[in-house]
Order: sequence, then structure tokens, then C-alpha cells
Amino acid sequence: MRHVSKIGIMVFAVAVVAAAIATGCKSAPLRTESATSGIRAAEEVGASKIPSASVYLQLAKEELEHARVLAAKGKKDEAASMLTRAEADAELAVTLSHEQTEKTEAGKAIERARQLRKDNQLPMERSNP
Amino acid sequence: MKLINYIMLIACAGLLGGCAAKVPTELANARQAYQRASAGPAAQLVPAELHKAQEALNRAEGSFKYDPKSYQTKDLAYVAERKAIMAEALASVASEKGSAAQANKEYQATQGEIMKRTEEDLARTQTEKSEAATAAAADKLAVEQQARLDAEKRATEAATAAGEGKLATEQQARLESERRAADAAAAAAADKLAVEQQARLDSDKRAADATAAATAAEKLSVEQQGRRDAEKQLADAQAALAKVAVVKEEPRGLVITLSGSVVFASNKATLLPEAQSRLSQVAETLMSTNKNRKLVVEGHTDSQGSAAFNMELSQRRAEAVRSYLISRGYPAELIEARGIGKVRPIADNASSEGRANNRRVEIIVER
Repeated sequence: MRHVSKIGIMVFAVAVVAAAIATGCKSAPLRTESATSGIRAAEEVGASKIPSASVYLQLAKEELEHARVLAAKGKKDEAASMLTRAEADAELAVTLSHEQTEKTEAGKAIERARQLRKDNQLPMERSNP
Repeated sequence: MKLINYIMLIACAGLLGGCAAKVPTELANARQAYQRASAGPAAQLVPAELHKAQEALNRAEGSFKYDPKSYQTKDLAYVAERKAIMAEALASVASEKGSAAQANKEYQATQGEIMKRTEEDLARTQTEKSEAATAAAADKLAVEQQARLDAEKRATEAATAAGEGKLATEQQARLESERRAADAAAAAAADKLAVEQQARLDSDKRAADATAAATAAEKLSVEQQGRRDAEKQLADAQAALAKVAVVKEEPRGLVITLSGSVVFASNKATLLPEAQSRLSQVAETLMSTNKNRKLVVEGHTDSQGSAAFNMELSQRRAEAVRSYLISRGYPAELIEARGIGKVRPIADNASSEGRANNRRVEIIVER
């Protein structure tokens, strides 16, 4: 009787620990930092004012919100997977913002070089070295 | 048995249908996006990003094989599509950066070109300024030198004028010495030249004298010959005149006297024929020997009759002789007719012979 009691205690303990672990995993918060910081970075580079980037910024925000909804419903894995979409769209919004900025800067540089040659009455077409 | 075969066919169809699962839209989009990106400049400009997109697509493909309809497959495919688009965007960024870099490089090259041209212009301007400054300095130096020379000249002149200044005196003395030497040399040269000229003149003069002497001798000889000829001609003429009239040398000239009784009738002024013959001979003789000499024709009467009558008669007779000589060719302007009357007799009027001699015409050939 005594031997049965020990085994029973051990089984009970293991069961308690497993239940505790299972409960802990189920109640772990959703890790949205990466997606949130990506969205913030896109907003800081002005993605909301750039048509090509603002679409993906908006998608990232909606996907983040969707992930939270899924998490609230207990669909942790599905929520985490949805966060990868939000992260990807936020990162793409940042990249497209940079692309637009680079296009603008390149246009300004080309125009500045052209204007310099024009102001100094130099030929507009330069031979490539 | 047929029923068993039919069931197995249905089962196989079901298995085949299950194996050919429908590709999710996300995965199709991902495949298309990656294919587009890998065909573009991303392969060269951002190969690492393109590789990340490929890995994402592989993960999606793997999930699709394991669980085609799962949300993991769709999400992985979604992320793979974004990675492919991002690779394209990053390639574009790299391209734009390259364009900007090239533009900046051209800008700098242009600046260098402008700088070089500016430096050349500046160098040229400086050269021109330098040349202008050099020219100005040369002009200034020339002006200063000229001013200094003028000042020295004025000082020298002043010193010379005032008799002051050793240098001026020496210069003046040297100049004087040189001038004297030059004068002496010039005088010597002039003397030498004069001597030479004089010698040449003497030589020329001697030659000229010799020539003149010869000429004079020749001329004298000719003149002597001419004179001898003239004298002979005159002697011949006088001899001829002596045949028709009385010819006599007197201080007033050669006097040719024609007797009045031979020349005119009594109390008449008309030439007798005999007188015309004689006068013709006289005229020829005078024409041949004394044509250029002045003639004075004087008419003389005897003492009979009044003085006025004799004067008028003697004048008319002188005029008659003059006219005849002129008619014979003697120049009229060289013949003067004078009526003398009875005032200059050459014989006694008491006798008829004397009165006949007093009635006469004299032709004086002046010397």
C-alpha cells in the first residue's frame, strides 16, 4: 500500500507539473515587438506619404491587429504566423520608402550636374571615361 | 468482382486528386514575384536579398508539400512574395544610388573642369596684368631715364654756360680741342683741296690760255687779214671815188666832195644826168665799204644871192643827194641832209672859178 502510494504521488506530481507547463504555454503573451517596431520604422521614414509604401504599411497594421485577434481567440500559432506577414509588410514599406527617397535624390543629383554645366556654358553630353 | 474493381478505381482517383492539391494564391504570387525578381537587376545588384527571397520561397514550397492548405503554407508564401518584391526594391535603390553617384561624379568632374578653366583664365589674366605692369614699369623707367638725361643735360648746359663744373669745362675743352683739331684737319684738307684745285685750275688755265692764245692768234691773224682786206678794199674804193669826186680825210671823217656845177644846174636842186652817174658810183662804193656808217650830206653855195635863198637851196640840194643815195639802197636812217648855205666857202667867191668850187655837195662818211 505504501509502495502504491509513492508511485501515485510521483504520477500526481508529474501530472501537476505537466499541467502547469501546459497552462503556462497556453497563457504566454503574443510577441508583437518585431512587427510593432517595423511599423514604427515605416511610419518614421514617411511611408504613409508614399503611395507605393503606404499600402504595405496599412497591410502590416491590419495583420498585426489580426494577429492580436487570433491570439485573443487562443490561436497562438496562427497569430504568430500572421505576425510574420505584418513584419514582412512593414519591412517592405520601409524599403519602398527608401527606394523613393533614393529616386528623388538621384534625380536631384542629375539635375544639379546638368544645371552646373548649363550655367557654365559647357557641353551637356559628357563622354564616359 | 466488378464492384471491387470499381471501388479501387474510385479510391485511386481519390488518391490522385488528393496528391494534386490546389496551389494557394499566395504561393502562386510568390513564385511569380521571385521569377520576376531573379530575371531583373536584383541578381547582380542585390544577390543576397534575392537569395533570402529564394530561401523564403523554398520554405513555402516545403510547407506546401507537407500541408498544402495550412495557414503556415499561405503565410510562408506571403512572406516569400514580400521578400522577392523587397529584393526588387533594393535593386532599384542600388541602381538609384549608382545614378546619384554617377551624377555626383560628373558634378565633381564639371567642378574640376570649371576650376581648371578658371585657373587658366586667372593665369591668363595675371599674365596680361603682369605684361601690362611690365610695360607700365618700362614706360615709367623710360620716363625717369629721360627725365634724368634731361636733368643731366640741363646741368651740363648750366655748368657750361656759367663756366662752372670741372666736368663741363673738361668736356667743353675736349670739345673745343676736338673742334679745333677737326677745324685744323678740315683746314688742312681744304688747303690740300685748294692746292689741288688751284693746281688743277692752273693747269686748266694754262691749257685755256694756250687755247685762248692760239685762238687769239688765229683771230688776230684773221682780223689782220680782214683789216688788210678792208684797207685794200677801202683803198680801192677811195681810188674809185677819186675818179668821180674829190676824196679827203679830215677830222670829221672821209669827205667826198662833188662839184656843184657838175651836180646841179645854176639855182636848181635837180640832179644832172652826169651827177646821177657819179652819185651812182659813189653810192656803190659806199654800199660796198661803208654801208653801216652814218653819212652827212651837206649842201654849199657861193656868196651870190641872199643867205636865206642859199640856205634853202643848199638844203634842197642836200636832200636831193640824200634821196638819190637812198634810192640806190643806202639805209635812209644813216643819211642826214644839211643845208649849209654860203657860210663855209672853200674858195674865193670873187672869181668865177672860186664860186664854182664853192658850189658843191660834201658827203662826209663819219668814223
